[in-house]
Amino acid sequence: MKLRRSKTHGREPHTLAGAYAMDAIAAPDRARFERHLAGCEECAQEIAGLREATARLAAAAAVPPPSGLKERVMAAAAMTRQQPPPDSEAAAETEAPARIPAIVPWFRALALPRRMAVAAAAVASVAVLAVAVVFGVSNGSMRDQLNQAQVSSQQIAAVLTARDATMMTGAVAGGGTVTIVMSHARHALVFTAADLHALPASRGYEFWLIGPAGDRPVTMFRPGGHDMLGPVIASGLKAGDHLALTAEPAGGAARPTAPMMLDVVL
Amino acid sequence: MTSVSPGGRPPGAPRSRGAGPPDPLGDPLGDPAGDLGAQIRLVARGDAGAFDAVYEQVAASVFGMVRRVIRDPAQSEEVTQDVLLEVWRNASRFDAERGSATAWVMTLAHRRAVDRVRSVQKESERERRTAAADIPYDEVAEAVESTLERERVRRCLGSLTELQRESVTLAYYGGYTYGQVATLLGVPTGTIKTRMRDALIRLRDCLGVAG
Repeated sequence: MKLRRSKTHGREPHTLAGAYAMDAIAAPDRARFERHLAGCEECAQEIAGLREATARLAAAAAVPPPSGLKERVMAAAAMTRQQPPPDSEAAAETEAPARIPAIVPWFRALALPRRMAVAAAAVASVAVLAVAVVFGVSNGSMRDQLNQAQVSSQQIAAVLTARDATMMTGAVAGGGTVTIVMSHARHALVFTAADLHALPASRGYEFWLIGPAGDRPVTMFRPGGHDMLGPVIASGLKAGDHLALTAEPAGGAARPTAPMMLDVVL
Repeated sequence: MTSVSPGGRPPGAPRSRGAGPPDPLGDPLGDPAGDLGAQIRLVARGDAGAFDAVYEQVAASVFGMVRRVIRDPAQSEEVTQDVLLEVWRNASRFDAERGSATAWVMTLAHRRAVDRVRSVQKESERERRTAAADIPYDEVAEAVESTLERERVRRCLGSLTELQRESVTLAYYGGYTYGQVATLLGVPTGTIKTRMRDALIRLRDCLGVAG
């Protein structure tokens, strides 16, 4: 505290504690202060105390959140993988292990600000990576798949952030869960499937949209290396449609031929 | 053969304690904040019911604060959604030894709000903010705030010197950097930095929060 550092404008960096606790600090200063913070336990404790105070400033500004926000948040959470906790054992071995960047959870990357078209391009490239990871894209036709992924990531974001986005879950007969977010305004739904049972190599799961407008195949999925499918976007959603799932020959079928394992009214 | 459950709770997800009546202020008094911490630890294990409870406890504070910084309602909603999702994602990183759960959430939220206004310094956005600034937000705020908590904070803000109070208000609710605050108030930056720190120390002590 009494230590004087000549670099920070001739003042001890400590005086920045208040500004830092209120984020009233431009990026370069912030980075410099955080370096200082890393080696100053006393400062870290002071910041923690000041943040208890600023949290109260936030509470004093509380207003009711918009209706529908909760549903969107809960739906997005249901489709977002959580960060793993720090590994207690690894932490014991090395002080600061070089951490492999966590897989970009796809929804976070896709949560495009609706009004920020400029930022969207930058975000989209992250989203493509995220989607690539989720889809398990490897080498080979990676570029094609990435291009497809880029298009679908924008569509997925549009569905998840739609005002009328609704979430549903369905249990698959024989095991597994399908989680759906749909938007009739966007004429589309996004879904993931988890814990589906393995099938013989000759067969795969096929998802369908069925309804008055006819039966349309959505996607094939063969559980194997992955225990999770999706997110998959199905566009062309029409009134009265159901999302259905059948086990079909691995090459896919033109229309459902096997018993429905899932039938969700959309 | 199949079952469908509309709504956010996956089938079979346990309902957590605390999911009861919404407390829009995130338990400002006493230390039910310990309860929020417990909920966040459950969220880290993927407990959707606990996340529901966390939402009820923090959403109003997050949205209200974010809206005061950003002003634009649609953007504020986006940022709020982002923040809450980050709470879900990063729940396992919450460390009770480094502060309360409320402070953890609000720190994250404020950083996000400020990052948003600073990344959007384009002219059109500034215009929109200026237009939105015409809304007297005290009126908007009336709806939720528990008068008790609001009064406490107001009283403690009132115990600051005018320069301290303006520095805090412009920085925290206005989202300005200390350099910008110094310009707005016509005071040297060194003075502003000191005032900000002194002000928060006084607020901390006045509000009786753990230091």
